[in-house]
Amino acid sequence: MTKKVAIVAVAQNAGAESKDNFYDEAYRVTKEVLDKAGMTRDEIGSVVSASSDVFHGGISCANAYYWDPTGAFLKNASRQDGESLFALIYAAMRIITGHFDTVLVIGLCKGSENPELDACTLMYSDPFYLRPLGLTETMAAALQMKLYMEKYKIRKEQCAKVAVKNLGNALRNPFAHRKGRYTVEDILKSDTVVDPLTELQCAPKSEGMIALLLASEKKAKKLTDKPVWIRGFGSSIDAYMIGDRDLLDGQLKNAAARAYKMAGIRNPLKQIDLAEITEPYAFQELMWYEQLGFCKAGGGGKLIDKGFTDMDGALPVNPSGGVLANNPYVSRGLQRAAEAFLQIRGEAGERQVKKKVRTALAHGVHGFAGQCHAVAILGS
Amino acid sequence: MGRAVAIIGVGQTRHGRRMDVSYPDLVREAVLRVFEDTGLSPRDIDGVVSGTMPSMMEGIALTHFYFSEAMQAVGKPILKTETCGSTGVSIAHTAYYWVASGLADLVLAVGHEKMNEGNSQATMTTVVEPFYQRYFISGAPGVFSMQSQMWTARYGIPEDKIRDAAAFISVTHHDSAFDNPYAHVKIKVTAEDVKTARVITYPIRLLDVCPNSDGACAVIFASEKMAKKIGRKAAWVKGVGYRGEEYFFGDSDKVVWESAIQAARQAYDQAGIKNPRKELDVAEVYNPFTYQEMLFYECFGFCDFGTSPDLVLKGTFSRKGSLPCDPSGGTLCTNPIGATGLIRVAEAAMQVTGKAGDHQVPGAKLALAHAMGGVDQFNGIMILGSKL
Repeated sequence: MTKKVAIVAVAQNAGAESKDNFYDEAYRVTKEVLDKAGMTRDEIGSVVSASSDVFHGGISCANAYYWDPTGAFLKNASRQDGESLFALIYAAMRIITGHFDTVLVIGLCKGSENPELDACTLMYSDPFYLRPLGLTETMAAALQMKLYMEKYKIRKEQCAKVAVKNLGNALRNPFAHRKGRYTVEDILKSDTVVDPLTELQCAPKSEGMIALLLASEKKAKKLTDKPVWIRGFGSSIDAYMIGDRDLLDGQLKNAAARAYKMAGIRNPLKQIDLAEITEPYAFQELMWYEQLGFCKAGGGGKLIDKGFTDMDGALPVNPSGGVLANNPYVSRGLQRAAEAFLQIRGEAGERQVKKKVRTALAHGVHGFAGQCHAVAILGS
Repeated sequence: MGRAVAIIGVGQTRHGRRMDVSYPDLVREAVLRVFEDTGLSPRDIDGVVSGTMPSMMEGIALTHFYFSEAMQAVGKPILKTETCGSTGVSIAHTAYYWVASGLADLVLAVGHEKMNEGNSQATMTTVVEPFYQRYFISGAPGVFSMQSQMWTARYGIPEDKIRDAAAFISVTHHDSAFDNPYAHVKIKVTAEDVKTARVITYPIRLLDVCPNSDGACAVIFASEKMAKKIGRKAAWVKGVGYRGEEYFFGDSDKVVWESAIQAARQAYDQAGIKNPRKELDVAEVYNPFTYQEMLFYECFGFCDFGTSPDLVLKGTFSRKGSLPCDPSGGTLCTNPIGATGLIRVAEAAMQVTGKAGDHQVPGAKLALAHAMGGVDQFNGIMILGSKL
C-alpha cells in the first residue's frame, strides 16, 4: 500500500433469516459501527457499499434503495457490484488519495428476500449458449470438483472434512447461519445437490449486512488503540467460458501474488497467521489452500487430514465457520475481512484462536468455478 | 489531492441500433479503439474498471464476468462500479482514485449498454421499490416530467418561454449530432417539429427525450509519470464531485437540487473554479431530457435559478455561446446508459485536448462532465483541464 489505511471498527448482523426489514438491518449495522468508533454520520467522509442487483430482492440499482439507512445522504458515496472486498480496496483508495479521512464500507445482502442462490447465479450464464444449458455456480463447481478429485486423487471424504471443520467452528460464532457437529458421513449422506456435491458441502443462503469503518493513519490513531492495517490487496479475473479455462489453475494465484507483493509476504505459510477464505463449496477450500501457496498443487487434502487448518492448527482457516456456515453472497468477502479484523484484535470471542494473530488473510471469490478472486492482507 | 491523473485516450463505438454486433463485440469495439488511439496494448494496463446498468437491463448479471475477454481484462485486477444512471461518471471516478492512490499507473475504464436488446423503461420501473413508489413512478419520463413541472411552477416561468427554450435545445443538439461521428440520432428537426411532437409525459414530447442506444465507451487513465512517458496530449483531472440524496422521490427538493448543486461545488472547489460560467469552456451535461438540462445549468451555477430559459434563447449555451453545453449532441441524441456518463467524460477529454473534430469548441481548456442516476437521486461531476 502506498499509504497506511486502517480498519478501526466492524459491525455485522447474524446470518439466519430475520423478520426485520432491509432498512432496519442496514441502519443497525451502520449505526453500530459508527457508535463503536465514537463518530456521527456527519463526520464520515465517504461511503462505499457493495451489493448486487441480482441478489437484491427484485429492486434494481441496489444502492439507490439503501442510500439513506447507510448514512450516505448528501455524501460522495459509491458502490461495488458482486464482490464486497472490491469495496474495501476502493474505500482504501479514496483514503490514500487524501480526499477522505474516513470511509464507511458496507456490504448488503438480505438472502431471505432473494430467490434460491442458483436461480440468481443462472443469470451469470449468457442468454444464448450457457443459460439454455442451465449452467449455475453449483453446477460449475461440481464439474470443477470432479476434475480436482480426478487429477489429484483427492477423496470425497477429504472434501467433506472441510464442512465438518467449518460447520463445527461455526458453533462458536453467534453470527453463523448454519452450524453443527457433523461427521464426514453426515456430510456425504446429506442430499445430493449436483453430483458430487451434497447439501452440506454447499453454502446456504444467508442474511448479511456488514459494516467496516476505514480511516487514514492519522485519523485511525485517534479513533482506536488497535487499528488493523490493510497491508496488501490483489484481485484478478479469468476468462468467461469455463471451457476456456484451466479450472484447477485459475486466477487466485495471480490475485494472491499481487496481495503478497504489496504486503511483503514471501512465505505465506510462515508469515500468515490465519486465513478467512470464501469456500461456497467445501472442496474449494482445499483448492484455494493450494493456490494461496499454503501447500503445493494437490496437497489440500493432506493439509486438512493433518488438521493443519483447524482452530488450533498451525494455520487456522475459517475459524468463523466460513461461507459454508454463513453465505450472504455479496457480503461474504467483507465478512472474511471483518473476521480477520476481530482475530487480529483478539476480539473474536469464543472463536478466538489460541495463537497470536498478527497477519491475517481475507479472500473473496465470485463467478463460475472461481472466475474472479480478491485477496486482502490485514495486519496489526 | 493524491497523485495527478490524466486521461490519455478514449474509444467510443458508433452508437445507435447496433444489431450488427453482439453485446461483447460492442464492448470490444470501444476497447480496441482506445488501444488504437493510444498505441498502448492490453499488456500495459494495470487494472480495469467495469460498470453498467442493473442486471435486468443487461439480460445478464455481473457483466464483468461476461465481458472479461472483450475488456481485455483476463488476468488483471478489476473493480466493478455501479451507481445506476450515474455509473459512467462513477466508473471514471473509480479509475481516477485508483491511479491517484498510486496503486496503479494505467487504468482502463469501460462502460457499455445494449439497450435495443432489453427494455429500459421496464427496468427503470424496478429501481423504485414495489410497495409505495412503483405505483406512481414508471420509467424515467414520468419522474422528469414531475421535476420540470415543479421547477416551472416554483419560478413562475411562462409555459411558452420554457417550451421555446426546450425546443431550442432540442434543435441545436440534434444539429450538433451531425458533427459527432459516434452520435446515434442524426435527424434535422425544427422548433415546430419539437413543439408538435407526440407527448410522452406532459410537458415532455418525443423530441425532448433521449433515444435507447447501443454503445460502449473506453477511457484510459494514467499517472503523471506514465502520461509524460507516453507523451500524448492529456486531459488532466482537476476535480471529482459526487452526491446522492434520499431514495423516496418526495423526500427531497428536486428543483433546488442538493445532490446536483453539491456535487458540482465539490468538484469546483478541487479545481479552484469560482465562476463556472466564466471559467469553464465547455460542459458535457447529462441531458436525457431538454427540460432537465436547463435545470442542471442552474444547479451547476451557470446561471441563477429560474433564468436558464432566457439564456438558452440568447444562445449562451449554444456552440458559439459563452459556455457551450453538449456540443456532441449529448445524451439527448445518444444514450447507452451504462456508457453515457463515461462518454461525457470522454467528450470533455476530447475537447480539452483539441481532438473533438467537427464539434470542437475552439481553444477549450477547462471542461465539465456530468452524469445523473437513480430516481433523480445521484449526481456525479468530473472537471478536466488541458494543463496539469
